[in-house]
Amino acid sequence: MNIIVCIKQVVAGDQVKIDPLTHTLVRSAENSVINPFDLFALNMAGHLKKLYSSSITAVTMGPKISEEVLWEALAMGADRAILLSDPRFATSDTLATSYVLGMGIRKIGQFDLILCGMRTTDSDTAQVGPQLAEELDIPHVTNVEKLERKKNLFLVERLSDGYREILEVSAPALFTISPKAATRFPSLIEIQDAHARHSIESWGLEEIEADPTKVGRAGSHTWVEELIPITREKFCDFIQGDPKQQAKSLFSKLFEKNLLS
Amino acid sequence: MDFTLSIQQKQVRRMARQFAKTELADIAKEIDEEGRFPWEVVEKMGPLNFFGMQAPRKYGGAELDTISYCLVIEEISRVCAAMGLTVAVHNSVVVYPLSRFGSDEQKAKFLPSLASGEKIGAFCLTEPNAGSDAMAIESTAISEGDSYIVNANKIFVTNGGVADTLIIFASVNPRDVKKGFSALLVERGTPGFEIGLLENNCGVRANPVSSIVLTDCRIPKTNLLGREGEGFKIAMAALDTGRIGIAAQAVGIGQAALDASLKYAKERIQFRLPIARQQAIQMMLADMGTMVEAARLLTLQAAHIRDQQGDLSGPSAMAKLFAARTASKVASMGVQIHGGYGYSKDYPIERYFRDARVTEIYEGTNEIQQIVIARELLKRGED
Repeated sequence: MNIIVCIKQVVAGDQVKIDPLTHTLVRSAENSVINPFDLFALNMAGHLKKLYSSSITAVTMGPKISEEVLWEALAMGADRAILLSDPRFATSDTLATSYVLGMGIRKIGQFDLILCGMRTTDSDTAQVGPQLAEELDIPHVTNVEKLERKKNLFLVERLSDGYREILEVSAPALFTISPKAATRFPSLIEIQDAHARHSIESWGLEEIEADPTKVGRAGSHTWVEELIPITREKFCDFIQGDPKQQAKSLFSKLFEKNLLS
Repeated sequence: MDFTLSIQQKQVRRMARQFAKTELADIAKEIDEEGRFPWEVVEKMGPLNFFGMQAPRKYGGAELDTISYCLVIEEISRVCAAMGLTVAVHNSVVVYPLSRFGSDEQKAKFLPSLASGEKIGAFCLTEPNAGSDAMAIESTAISEGDSYIVNANKIFVTNGGVADTLIIFASVNPRDVKKGFSALLVERGTPGFEIGLLENNCGVRANPVSSIVLTDCRIPKTNLLGREGEGFKIAMAALDTGRIGIAAQAVGIGQAALDASLKYAKERIQFRLPIARQQAIQMMLADMGTMVEAARLLTLQAAHIRDQQGDLSGPSAMAKLFAARTASKVASMGVQIHGGYGYSKDYPIERYFRDARVTEIYEGTNEIQQIVIARELLKRGED
């Protein structure tokens, strides 16, 4: 079984800074990590590799420093890693990103399964997975917790609004993996082996035969007009009186704020 | 000269950092207070090869370069110095000398379970009357057929309360300790082997430091590490590597103290401003940052020299001396920045302050490092 896992480098949650001029995140090798949601997809791929003889190809789109997340994937069991990198891909929105990923995957060739994290910690749209499935014209299911192969079908379990849905999906298909699935750390030996055995392939616009009008800003239908940091203010309100009065006062305050349903 | 870490070294550091944040950050305070060894975390560290960093691949180790090794110790110690100590001691003064001086049989017998973390290692040199003066040991190993009868009273044994595989130093020749100074591999559970009371220490309290007493303990001669009389050489080689590990631990504690102080200085309001806006505080932070960075560079330089198989004694003593002093100084300045809160157990800085202090004492006191450094300097010829 050929599994493709799409991953992304994000700025670590506690180190987000925004460039005031470009309104984009300030990225550096020091503050960047693999999108934590992608670890669940990578771990699911590793789990499937053990069950069914499979090969895993990890793909990311980004500048050269994004290579670091591909090394994470290789340490977690990926057999091949591809970086889709071209200055013209910069500032792609989710649609342009899924087009680039789609063209990269077409170049990879035959696959049975694409796994993605459910969303990213930086832009948080949860759109790229489903858009990529549309781009490639294959079925998709989001928020998948369990996944098994059944001949030409995948049997998947997802959680949705208090229901547990069990679905049969024909291969090839794309699934975004729930952050409730299992995850793990790569061992030191796995990290050493990844670097001893593998290298990263880098493909630009020409290599994946992408249409330059469909990538980057030109191919984006949405863009960030402005980023305004939110300041959260907390207020502390001491309720006076004897316990009975306090309870009454607390009830009316909560009721006024619509916090009691 | 290139000061950049390789992508691989950065990946190792990232993994250790994430692991420490996920598995140790929430319990570090509690295990310090309770003096509890966190087996539940050790079980998770084993499969990630943290206990086999210095062991050859053949025996299940990761055979990590020394720079990566230091990065791991620093990141673990930054969150929990006691576990940084556990891993550093296990690797550098047990797994490493066993890998270097052990026979093939000894390596095959002892290394796999140490490298996997299934068994914990300890290094027993110090005695009530022999600390800095290692040659003053009174422990004996008297030859009897194909065994030694070992009598030893070892104290301040890091990992002592949980160790299964111990390197014990004793003399096979009580009349000439120097000539008979030898290293023996001893397993917990051997008749006559006893773990003494755990120390109620000031810092690194989650590490079960204890005494180890051997009374007429019969140890097979096949457990002699190296040859008879080679014990001192083995101990010194182990300590040269060990000191780099302790230097890395000290850098981790210093970094933790700096991190906590930066956070506090930005949050604490006095005179209607965060105290970070006061030059007096800024100057302390600047000195702390500079010292930690200098300690890190000396430590990584010593690690690099070890990877290049260079002469290690001087550089590792310098790294250990400077990093230990830095950790103590920076943690103390951190307490000062925190004011009264720094003296309270509500903030982690008091733990860093207590943890830092012992780095100036164990694996050779500051004064012993100075002796080593001075000897190396005086030995050098003029350029």
